[in-house]
Parts: sequence; structure tokens; C-alpha cells
Amino acid sequence: MITFILRRMLLMVPTLWAIATLTFFMMRAAPGGPFQSEREIPAAAKEVLFAKYGLDKPWPEQYVTFLGNAARLDFGPSYKYPTQQVSDIIRSSFPASFELGLWSLLLALALGIPLGVIAANRQNTATDYLTMSATLLGVSIPNFVLGPVLVLVFALTLYWLPPALWLGPSSRVLPVLTLSAIYLAYIARLTRGGMLETLRQDYIRTARAKGLPESRVVFGHALKLGILPVVSYLGPAVARIVMGSIVIEQIFAVPGLGRQLVSAAFNRDYTLVLGIVVFYAGFLMVLNLVVDVAYSWFDPRVELA
Amino acid sequence: MGRTSGGRTRREAASLAPDGILRPVTALAKNQGVPALAAVAALVLAFGTGCAPRAAGDAAYFGDTTPPSGQVLTFNNGAEPEHLDPAVMSGQPDGRIARMVFEGLCSADPRTLAPVPGQAYRWDLSPDGLVYTFHLRPGLTWADGHPLIAGDFLWSWRRVLAPATGSRYASFLFAVRNAGAYNAGELTDVTQVGLAAPDESTFVVTLAQPTPYFLELTTFYTSLPTPRHVIEKLGDGWEDALALVGNGPFRIAEWELKNRFVLVPNERYWDRGAVKLERIVALPVEELSTATNLYKAGVVDWNPSGYVPKTVVPFVRHFKDFSGGPYHGTYFYSMVVTKKPFDDVWVRRALNAATDRAAIAEHVLRGTVTAWGGITPMGYAGYAAPPQLKYDPVYARECLAKAGYPGGKGFPPIEILFNTSEDHRRIAEAVQAMWKRDLGIQVTLSNQEWASYLAATTAKNYDVARRSWIGDFADPMTFLDMWITDAGNSRTGWSNAEYDDLIRRATVEVDPAERLRMLSRAEAILLSEGPVIPVYHYAETSLIKPYVLGIHSTVLDVHPLKGVSIDPDWRSHAAAAEATP
Repeated sequence: MITFILRRMLLMVPTLWAIATLTFFMMRAAPGGPFQSEREIPAAAKEVLFAKYGLDKPWPEQYVTFLGNAARLDFGPSYKYPTQQVSDIIRSSFPASFELGLWSLLLALALGIPLGVIAANRQNTATDYLTMSATLLGVSIPNFVLGPVLVLVFALTLYWLPPALWLGPSSRVLPVLTLSAIYLAYIARLTRGGMLETLRQDYIRTARAKGLPESRVVFGHALKLGILPVVSYLGPAVARIVMGSIVIEQIFAVPGLGRQLVSAAFNRDYTLVLGIVVFYAGFLMVLNLVVDVAYSWFDPRVELA
Repeated sequence: MGRTSGGRTRREAASLAPDGILRPVTALAKNQGVPALAAVAALVLAFGTGCAPRAAGDAAYFGDTTPPSGQVLTFNNGAEPEHLDPAVMSGQPDGRIARMVFEGLCSADPRTLAPVPGQAYRWDLSPDGLVYTFHLRPGLTWADGHPLIAGDFLWSWRRVLAPATGSRYASFLFAVRNAGAYNAGELTDVTQVGLAAPDESTFVVTLAQPTPYFLELTTFYTSLPTPRHVIEKLGDGWEDALALVGNGPFRIAEWELKNRFVLVPNERYWDRGAVKLERIVALPVEELSTATNLYKAGVVDWNPSGYVPKTVVPFVRHFKDFSGGPYHGTYFYSMVVTKKPFDDVWVRRALNAATDRAAIAEHVLRGTVTAWGGITPMGYAGYAAPPQLKYDPVYARECLAKAGYPGGKGFPPIEILFNTSEDHRRIAEAVQAMWKRDLGIQVTLSNQEWASYLAATTAKNYDVARRSWIGDFADPMTFLDMWITDAGNSRTGWSNAEYDDLIRRATVEVDPAERLRMLSRAEAILLSEGPVIPVYHYAETSLIKPYVLGIHSTVLDVHPLKGVSIDPDWRSHAAAAEATP
């Protein structure tokens, strides 16, 4: 186990290097640069900016400097917001994304798993059909449709909740609902599928045969194996969900990292894009590792190698 | 449902505002949103506006009209400011914050934007129109209590002009003698620049030539003073929102990146008594539909011009709190005249005459803008603009024939470049159809995202491109000097000796009427020979709650907030005003 974790962590280094390198050159290859404007920037001002950020140097030299700094996790100041260090921007933007994702994930799990279990237990009943139809809707409605509809109903017609912003508990409700919908639906469907399979296993029949109450059969024995599909889905899902949803952060003006990444790419804010991409990549890899380890705990048959 | 539930939202937002923070927006609304998202959001918003009003008395207004408790103004600033240092900033959101935190020699009248005494309580102009002597108010201080003296203005303006500062708008001070040469590095002795502070309360500016709009320039953010004593101590760090030391009516109390600025009155401001607001919250909401939703829900009291999606304007413009007056900007197409076939003036005239601006304004943009056949916008005192270009398909065909392409035969396929935006696309499609119909030429469309579009236009790597220009001050010059030979903002390669000469002479002309006549002649040349196809005149599209007093429509979209206040009894006041006409 320890060797496994260590090896995986070592592997992250070349992966991160490759991602950073690709991003560096892709950003440079995109047309335009960070210091352009609809209004001409005076040549003198441009020179000052280019010299300040080392953009007057040839690419290879910029690349070497960048790698050296990146290794120390120092991406320098943002080009667009020169008073902000990239690391500070990430530090101050990530919590909002993380919080949004965390609530959404908790909501999705708290409702999705019970719904899936209930549906599986009452397979082919009205409850099952109703739940599965609802989750089908949840899976198919894109969040950029669901978000504005929720805003229209709860913020602009009923005036119950603010339509956007990240200030106070009430402002969390709509973005969390919007973000969690698809995960909730998906988790419910996965749970149902996993549970259906598990409930047909011999050891469940054995458990029932020895007279265990149904609740113990389901929650004590079946659930642990039945939600395995959810666990493997959670790895990438957790990463996606807590890294922030670009669309939802835009619609609801959430000061998160997803919004930063999009505007940084549009602004050709090289340092900020690189910083966020490397952060994302590292975070994703760590989460995947956590999921792999968790998987072996849920299902002892899985061997880490 | 009605006002109670609306009141709840409002209270909630207010409770956030007092302890929490909100944020501002900028001019980066260059349509960087996710198009599909914006479209859906706009659609939903459009339906939303069709809903029944929540309370009978509110029918005339867009959304919640419950005033906040207390003198608190929440507005959308459009984006996170890039800079808080007035010397280097270049965006609307930056400027809005700077104008609250700093004050120049003059400040702007909230209705007319005419220069009124600011840090200087009076000024004299020498008879030859060259030397302004500003007299500062006695006892001025920075927000940290440090005295503010004329030497601060001298130091600040020199700092703007110093090449190492990298100020994007240093040219705002080029009216000052030798300022341009010093900024370009041709002159290294700063004392040669026409700025002096003979004593602590006198600031003397010597101009290169009489400049009728010079006082207006002193109200622009680049001219705002910056605190030498802080900058010398903190270096670049002085720009930190929470460390920022200004001299204006407000100071920054709280700041969260991409979430909000909270400003409170600067107790040391000389005119503290005139400042009514206890708190200003500026939000950086970029997504226009979101900004408009926030306004409708009553979280935001003021959504400045440009932050209402174009597609939504037709649905909200009948509300009393929508304001749609003229705005100092022009939307046009430009052509690269160093390329075939645009090197031929008759081709340029043909394209111009085949552009049906009225149809674009009326049908494509649903009457939300004014069709405009000139490059300078409306409304300069004393300026007689040349006749506007007209849509004339017959003349257009004649021009094309004169260029050697009768009926469009042999005309090479050309491309219209625009940056990502639903409106730009629809206009380009309309123009494409018009040119095909009236001239028989093949036009393709090229959509690029903002940075690519900027790179292409700057490099003159396009045929025809969608462009726009927003005036910096209320004078035709701000729309005309960009077209002289090799000017960086022309981006067309156009050069005309007579035009250059007129602009140069107008720059030094002492007689204001003669100067404007020269500019008008120059504009006539530009319209008849030039590389531009004007399309429409910008209109203001702002939303201001009826309880906000003191924010007026202005052509430059500059709104001093010093005297703004919240009227908790606006309903009874509005009713009284209606009763006594």
C-alpha cells in the first residue's frame, strides 16, 4: 500500500511537467498576447510591461524560467491583475469553488444514494419508475438551462433567493442545487444499478436466509458493495465538482477558480492559466489516488499494484 | 406575493452587504461569456420580464423597488479592476473605483460632466490660453492624514509621464508642454516638462498649445493624484485594495477578489458633508444576464450602461428606471486599405453606400441603437458635423463599376472579421446579405475570440473588421486624431495628407470656432475617402432604481457618486411630483 502510494506520487512529477509544458506552449501558440487592447498601448508602456514579465526574452528562455519558478510553486504575478500573485488568486478563489462543490456533492450523495437504494428495493414499482424518470430528467437537463430556470422561479418571480453572488447562506442555495442536480441523478441511477446486482448475490440470499432483518441486509451487507460503482464514479466526479463549474460560476457570479480560469484564458493571462492548470492537474491526480485507495477498502478483492 | 417577499430578499442582501462585501464590473464585457449560456439566460430573463408585476405600484419599474435600509448603494462594476493605480489603469471598472477613492484638480459635474472645483478651488488661465494656474484648497490631506500639497500633483503627473511607469493613458497629459517628448524618452530632463509647483498650494501647468478641453482632462482618472509618501514606501504594493490611500470622497473598507469592494466615506475628505452614502458596494459581475437578474431582484441598485444584454433591452426599455440616452461611442467597420480591393476609394464608397444602417438599427438591433452615418457621435457644442453617409444602392453599384467591378464581376471574395458576440454576428450577417444583394459580391464571416481578434486587427491582418470607439472626452478630436497616418488605433493603413494637415492645424488652432470647422472638414474627408463604414451610435443602457438620487445620464458614462443618496420615501416623493406638475 505504502509503496503503491509512493510510486503513484512519484509518477505525478513527470505528468505535471508534461501538462505544464503543453499548457505553456499552447498558450504561447494561441493568437494574441496578454498586453493588447482595443486602444493602442503606447510603445513605451508596452516595453515596460514586456520587460517586467520577461516577455521580451525568447520562448526557450521564458520556458526555462517558468519551469524553475513552477518547481517552487511560484507562478509570479498575474498579467491581467498585476497586483495579484497567481498563488494568491488560486488561494482566494479555490475556497468558493470547493465549498460550492462540497455542498453539491454532499447533497447529491445524501439524496442520490437513498433514492437509488429505495428504487432498487422496489424494483419495477411506481416508486422505482418515478425516481428513475426524475433522475433521467436530472441527467439530461444541462446546468446552463436548469440554473436560469431556477433563477427565474426562485429569484425573479418568487423573490425568495438572490439570483447570484456568493454572500451569505441564501446565495448558496441556487448554485448548489444547479450543480448537484446532474450528480444527484447520476448517483441515484448508479446506486440503483449496483444495488440490483448486489441484491441478487448469494451472500445476500444467505444473509436473508439466516433471518437478518431487511434493513440490516440492505445497509449492513448490500450497500457496501452496491455503491462501488458510485465510489469509482466519485473519483473524477469529486475532482470535477470541487474544481468549480465554469458555467455555474459564471451564471451565479461565484468568485471561484473556474471563472478565473476562463477569463484568464480569454485574457491570455499566461501565468494565471499555467498556475490554475497545474493546480487542477495536481489536485485531480491526488484525488484519483485517494479514490484508488478507497476502492481497495470498499472491495477487498481489489489489489493495489 | 408582492412587496413583503421582495423586502425579504432586499433585507437579506443588505445584511450581507453591511458585514460582507460585494464587487464591481468593467469594460471587459467584450462578450467573453459562453454564448449558449448567455442566450439561454437572456431568454429566461426575457420571459421573466414578461411576468406580472409584483405590486401594482411597481408596474412602471423593472423588478424590486424596495429601497435598502440606510444610505447604501450596491452597483455592478462589471469586472474585477485590473489596477487601482490611476496612473496606469485603463478600464471602466478601474476608473469607477478610482473616481471614488481619488479626486483630481477638478471634478466632474454629475449632470454635465463640466469641470467643477475639486482639489483646486479656483484656477486662472493666461490670456494666451497656455498657462493654467491651479490653487489648491487649504488644509487638504490624504485619507491617512498626510498633508496633500501641490508637489503631490507635480510628482503624480511626472510619474504618469515617466516612461518607466508604463502608463497606457499618458497621452492624456500630452497637451502639457514637452510631455510627449519626455514620455517617449526623447527628452530626459523632467524639469523641461511644463509642470511646476512654485509653492505648496499652487500648481502651474504650461501647455504646448491652447487646449479647449484641458480642464476636462484633469477630471480623467489618469490625472488623479497618487500618494508619493505611500508609493515610495510600499512600491507596487501600494495598489493593494486594502492599503490604497486616496484623497477622494470614499475609501476602500473591504475587498474580496472577484467578489466585491466595499467603500465608506473618507472622513478626511474636504467636502465630507456633501457625501451622503454610508456605504457603497461594487460587484464585479461579468455575465450581463446575471447582472440584470441581480438588478431585477433588487440586490443591485444600479447597473451601469452596457451591462444589460442587448437582447434584453427591448423588453426593459419601457420601464421608468431604464435609461437609454446617447452614449459617446460609435460602432463601425474598418477596412485595411493597403490590401486589394480596399486600396480603391471607389470600393470603399461602394461598401459604404451599400450598408443599410437604418435596417440594422431597426430590424437587427430592434431599435435599441441609432443608425449613424458619421464617425463622431452627436452633440458637441458648436461642432457642425458633415452630412451623414446614406444608404444608396444605386450609387453603390455606380461606385463599384467605377472601381472596375460592374455588377460585382471579378470582385474578390472578402471577409468580415468580428469578435465573439451574438450581436456582432447578426450585424455581420445583415451586412453580408446587403452587400451580396446590392453589389453582387461574395462575403464570408470570420468569428474570433477577443484576444485573437485584437491580434488580427492590430496586425492589420483582416479585410473588413467590426470596430468601435468610445470617446474619452466630449470633443470631436477624440474620434478624429486616431485616423492620422500611422496612428496606432487606426489599424487600417489609411493615410491622407490633407486629413493629417487639418488635424495637425486644429491641434494648434487658437480660435475654437475655426478649430471645429477644421475638424468637421477632416471628418468629411474621412467619411468620403476613408477606411471606415459607420454603422450606429451607441446608446446608454443602464438601469437605476427610482430610489437612487443623483446618478444622471451622461454621454461619457462617468458618474460621480459623491453626492448620490438613497431616498427611502421615493414613492411618496414620486407621487407628490406627479401631483404637482
